[in-house]
Amino acid sequence: MIRYECLELLAPRITDQLVVTSQSGQRIEWGHLCKHEGNLLLGEMAAALGVGIGLALALPQRRVIVLESDGSVLLSLSTLATLANLDPPNLAVFVFDNETYSGTRISEPTATAGKTDLEALARGAGIARAVTVQDLGSFKKEGVPALAEKGLRFIVCKVKESLAHREIPRPDIDLVENKYRFVRYLEQTEGRPNPFIGRG
Amino acid sequence: MEAELAKRIVDGLREAGVNFVTYLPESRLSQILALMREDNSFRLVPVASETDAVSIAVGATLAGKQSACYMECTGVYVSCYHLLVVAEHLRVPVLLILSHLGGFDDQRNSFHYALAGVKLIPHLEALGIEYKVLDNGENLGAKIKNAVRTMNALRLPVALIFTGEFTV
Repeated sequence: MIRYECLELLAPRITDQLVVTSQSGQRIEWGHLCKHEGNLLLGEMAAALGVGIGLALALPQRRVIVLESDGSVLLSLSTLATLANLDPPNLAVFVFDNETYSGTRISEPTATAGKTDLEALARGAGIARAVTVQDLGSFKKEGVPALAEKGLRFIVCKVKESLAHREIPRPDIDLVENKYRFVRYLEQTEGRPNPFIGRG
Repeated sequence: MEAELAKRIVDGLREAGVNFVTYLPESRLSQILALMREDNSFRLVPVASETDAVSIAVGATLAGKQSACYMECTGVYVSCYHLLVVAEHLRVPVLLILSHLGGFDDQRNSFHYALAGVKLIPHLEALGIEYKVLDNGENLGAKIKNAVRTMNALRLPVALIFTGEFTV
C-alpha cells in the first residue's frame, strides 16, 4: 500500500474534522485530495502532533485528525509521552511510515527501517489503542473508522515509499494564509471569535 | 518567591485573559502551578518537553484560547525549533513565562546555571522574540497585560522573564 491510496480513502469522509498535516509529501497529497477549510497544512517536521493535541484539548467537541510521518514522529518522541498522559479522546493520529526520509533529492532510511517500531513506542508511552496496519484492507478496518469514532487512536500505516507527490502541484497558499483560513473556519463553525485575531 | 508574588502572577495572567497554560515544572516560580491548578480559569497542560509546550500552545491558540508556556529559561533552547518553525512561521501569539535561572539577578545562581542563564537574552533576540525582564512585583498585573496585548498585536510569541525577587 502507498500513502496516497490511504489518503484517498480518508479524504471523502472528512466533514467537520480538523486535519493537521506534517511534512512534505503527505502535505502535498492531502492538500490535493482534500480542499477542506479545516485543513492546517503545517509542513514542518515534529510539529503536527503537538499542534493537533492543542486543538483537541481546546475543542473537545471536535474530532482532530493528525497526519504524521515516521521521520517527523521520531524527531519528537517526547510528544508520545505527553499525548498518552493527556489522552484526548477526540484525536486520531495516522503515522504514514515509509521507513524513509523522502525529500525531493533524498531517499534515506529512517530508524523504522531498522529496529524501531513506532507502535511499540506509542504503547510504551502509554497509548493503549496503538495499532499497525500493513495493507489497505486493514487500513479500511482500523484506520477509516478512526475519523469518526471516540477515543484516542494511533495508527501506524506501513506504506511503500511513493513519489506521487512530486507529480502533484504543491499547495498554492502559504502557511500564514492557511492559518487565517483555518481560524476563520473555526470562528464560523464554533460561532465565536478568536481573541488573537482581534479588531484592526 | 514570596507567596504573595506567586498569587499576583496568577492573578495577572487571569486578568490578562490567559486561560490555557502548558508547562514543564521548574524551581523558581513553581508556586504558581498549585495556584493555577486550583483555579478553574486555567486549563493546565503538563508536557514531557518544552517542544511540546510550544506546539500544543500554538494549537490551543488557533482554537481560540489565550495560551502561555511556563518553563525554565533553558526550555527556550530546547524548544527554539518549535518557536521558530511553528509559532513564528505561523505567526501565532504565545506568552512565554520564563524563570531566568542563571541570570545576573537569579538569587539562587550557581555554576550549574550561570552559562545557560547568560545566553537567554541573546537567544531570544536571535529568534526575534520581544521580551520584558521583571525583577520585582511593581505593576505586575499591568506588565502581564501589556505582554498579552503585545503578542496579540504582533501575532508572535512574547516572553516575560522573571528574575530578582521572583527567584528568591
